[in-house]
Amino acid sequence: MHPRVSPLVEVRDVAVHFGPSRAVDGVSLVVHPGEVLALVGESGSGKTTLIRAIQGLQALSGGTIDFADGSDDVQMIFQDPTGALNPRQTIYEVVAEGLRIRKRPEGELERVSEALSSAGLRPPDTFFGRYPHEVSGGQRQRVVIAGAMVMNPRLLLADEPVASLDASIRGEILALMRNLVDETALSILVVTHDLGLAWNIADRVAVMYLGRVVETGPTDEILDNPRHPYTIALLSVVPETKEMEQQILTGEIPDSTRIPNGCRFHPRCPLLRSGTLPDPIAKRCVSDDPGPLPPVAGSAVACWASDQALAPE
Amino acid sequence: MTMLSVHDLSITYRTRSGPLPAVRGVGFDLERGGSLGLAGESGCGKSTLANALLRLLPAETEVTGEIVMAGQDVLGLSPGGLRAARWTTGAIVFQGALHALNPVQTVGRQVAEPMLVHSTVPSGDAARARTGELLERVGLPADRADSYPHQLSGGQRQRVLIAMALACDPQLLIADEPTTALDLMVQAQVLSLIEDLRRDQDLTLIFITHDLSVLTYVCDDIAVMYAGRIVERGPSFEVFERGAHPYTRALSAAFPTIGDPASRMSPAGLGGDPPTPGNLPPGCPFHPRCPLAEPRCREEEPPLRESGPGRRAACILV
Amino acid sequence: MSLAMQRRRATARRIWAQFRGSRQGMIGLVVLVVFALVAVAAPLLADIAELNPVRARAAGNPQWASPGEFGPLGTDHLRRSVWAQFVWGSRVSLFVGLAATILTIFIGSVIGILSGFIGGKVDAALMRITEWFLVIPFLPLAIVLASVLGRSVWNIIFVIGITSWPSTARLVRAQVLTVKQRLFVDRARSLGAGPGHLITRHILPNVSGLILANATLAVPIAILTETTLAFLGLGDPSSASWGKTLEEAFVNGAIVRNAWWYFLPAGIGILVVVLAFTLIGRTMEEIADPRMSRRR
Repeated sequence: MHPRVSPLVEVRDVAVHFGPSRAVDGVSLVVHPGEVLALVGESGSGKTTLIRAIQGLQALSGGTIDFADGSDDVQMIFQDPTGALNPRQTIYEVVAEGLRIRKRPEGELERVSEALSSAGLRPPDTFFGRYPHEVSGGQRQRVVIAGAMVMNPRLLLADEPVASLDASIRGEILALMRNLVDETALSILVVTHDLGLAWNIADRVAVMYLGRVVETGPTDEILDNPRHPYTIALLSVVPETKEMEQQILTGEIPDSTRIPNGCRFHPRCPLLRSGTLPDPIAKRCVSDDPGPLPPVAGSAVACWASDQALAPE
Repeated sequence: MTMLSVHDLSITYRTRSGPLPAVRGVGFDLERGGSLGLAGESGCGKSTLANALLRLLPAETEVTGEIVMAGQDVLGLSPGGLRAARWTTGAIVFQGALHALNPVQTVGRQVAEPMLVHSTVPSGDAARARTGELLERVGLPADRADSYPHQLSGGQRQRVLIAMALACDPQLLIADEPTTALDLMVQAQVLSLIEDLRRDQDLTLIFITHDLSVLTYVCDDIAVMYAGRIVERGPSFEVFERGAHPYTRALSAAFPTIGDPASRMSPAGLGGDPPTPGNLPPGCPFHPRCPLAEPRCREEEPPLRESGPGRRAACILV
Repeated sequence: MSLAMQRRRATARRIWAQFRGSRQGMIGLVVLVVFALVAVAAPLLADIAELNPVRARAAGNPQWASPGEFGPLGTDHLRRSVWAQFVWGSRVSLFVGLAATILTIFIGSVIGILSGFIGGKVDAALMRITEWFLVIPFLPLAIVLASVLGRSVWNIIFVIGITSWPSTARLVRAQVLTVKQRLFVDRARSLGAGPGHLITRHILPNVSGLILANATLAVPIAILTETTLAFLGLGDPSSASWGKTLEEAFVNGAIVRNAWWYFLPAGIGILVVVLAFTLIGRTMEEIADPRMSRRR
């Protein structure tokens, strides 16, 4: 999608291991300026560990994370805005905190006002003296966003930004995030289990399973025409896609201390279980790891059977 | 035959800062074998309503109106009758967070407990046997009975809670956000389990969630609640696809249809926040957030009115 | 920012309003204020010279006089006014209680915060030390320290401070561990905050309520400890605390003589002040942690 633009962030072969557990096990991806990349996966996929690593909150066991110029301009927003705000700080103090930590006192008042306005909290000065418990849940998430935007980040990491919000507020926060990208050339890497969120705001999608990206590509392509059996199954159980026949996988994502041999998805793979795969491919699924995907902006899928007829139904 | 009939039910919490009307005049009927989804956001009164059906609210809460469950007047039951009704007539499944189960008891004991309390089984051995059966029916191996809650995953704990609710063969199952904390795939597993149970055991189901789209999966009918009232009721697919109330439309638009170009890159949302029960706006409580509000919406709170075949909505525009 | 100050003041007002709403807290506060006034106004209420036995004899005071025979509260074996001892004793007892508490809370908070915040080996080491202090029988240690260091008010304060901080440290550490897990600490960290910023801006404001409540509960313990030490004869011989009054009354046979006026005022004073601090402490604890008082 952005073949000529140099990436803002390049994640190469990143691994995060906790003892025997391989939470992130060789992930490569790029985020370009001005795009939203959705990292989609269930709990246990390693997606949250990965963005903590990008933010520098988590040490790497392997691989590199390179930023276009300096790592100063990455900010983060969180799933639970209530928990992300210190109950003893006023909203002004929350938003100004980053400026104070980085010792940038010049024009603090203006920059805080601007950040609050850009997050949709207007007029900003009516929010200065309030405490987090005095505003609504949606407004709290806006405060967290303002606290990140005041630093003029080039990349915003968002961890399930609407999962704990009421349904009617969800759309507003997502619209705000998309507007920030369109109007300020910000990039967002959003981690979610919500495919509807990806459909709503993401330019590209990367689907994670058990510490790896298993399929990536432009959102329309992945969600309209998924190729990895895991992506297909995930999409089929989203209540909003009624036309697809449901493929409910049995069991849950295995423990990351016991990653299966061969393709890590093969024990749950509906395609392999259906017995329709030609023998040589089925053998490969069980014995050979399709390997990590390269950091490409186009489409890629980690599946030995991806050339087979995989279209739903 | 009617399994559950709720008439003009109002529930007011007594708090330090004064009375809090959580449910304000709700009424509905539910046929035996039917399934009703209660949808709405935090504070709309849906969980209060669910708890009231089995009288699980704090004692000082003021409850008026009528709840008739399988011919019994729930609000008039004696404590003994109530205890019996709680597991054998209607049972509730809570959200399967860790705290819904006792951490120091095996799940088998916890599933067997209601059977022993209500003497629906002749002996401890019979209870054990039936516990194994129940666990298998909800898709867990029978030997999981010896596990402690922390040894199970979120999805497995939710299955245990469902097994517990089924222990005394209830006719009505009330599921209060049973899939909210679960991953997409596990949520699909639990929903299909509930669907199977309903079909196989002829259960009547009340399913409560904030996610309208989930209800189209499991329920025949949906009732959408806002500020303590039902604002729309009708067949689930129609309500989800063609809501008559502006709030219903906003709720269903919040979950985009993947593949629908209209929602691509344009998330839909409402301005403002749900009202708090103690501080409702005058007139129609939805009017401050309603894109279609007119001046008269500020004055009168519209009652539920017929809005189509089998459908009712509380909006002056229908 | 003056805005922040205004909000702080509003918070203080809110806490005061909550405090005023508590009957036990107000009773404790009123009692405490009365005793504080007595301590502050001691020179006006009784001449310090009345504590001097030589002066008492010279003034012709009777020995072992009951309240009916002399002054408001009678005299002791050395003909001194018990009232004067009570008034001046309140000063010493309150001062020692407060000063020892400040020391206790200071040591306990620093150790607790460092231990909980830094974690790892530092935590393990500090907690071993804390447990060591916790398992040593307190009274023998205090007696040994008091006798080694000598009998002065400052030494008493030091002894109480050094022996009673461990429980505060453990309490503060536990709270720091919870606060440290909160998402807002992660947020500040992702903004680039260092340990100094995290401790002063995030950890401390969220444990200060607990520390304050703990402090009000530590005062009565300190007062009782001072009383105990003084009663055992380890108090400062030159300053007449309530504990010292009790000791002298006991040693000189006030109980045998049924001279209740000698020991009762000091005993009741200790009891009432300790109770007042406990009431205030409980109320502060409830305000700091609303879960203790409110049901859902």
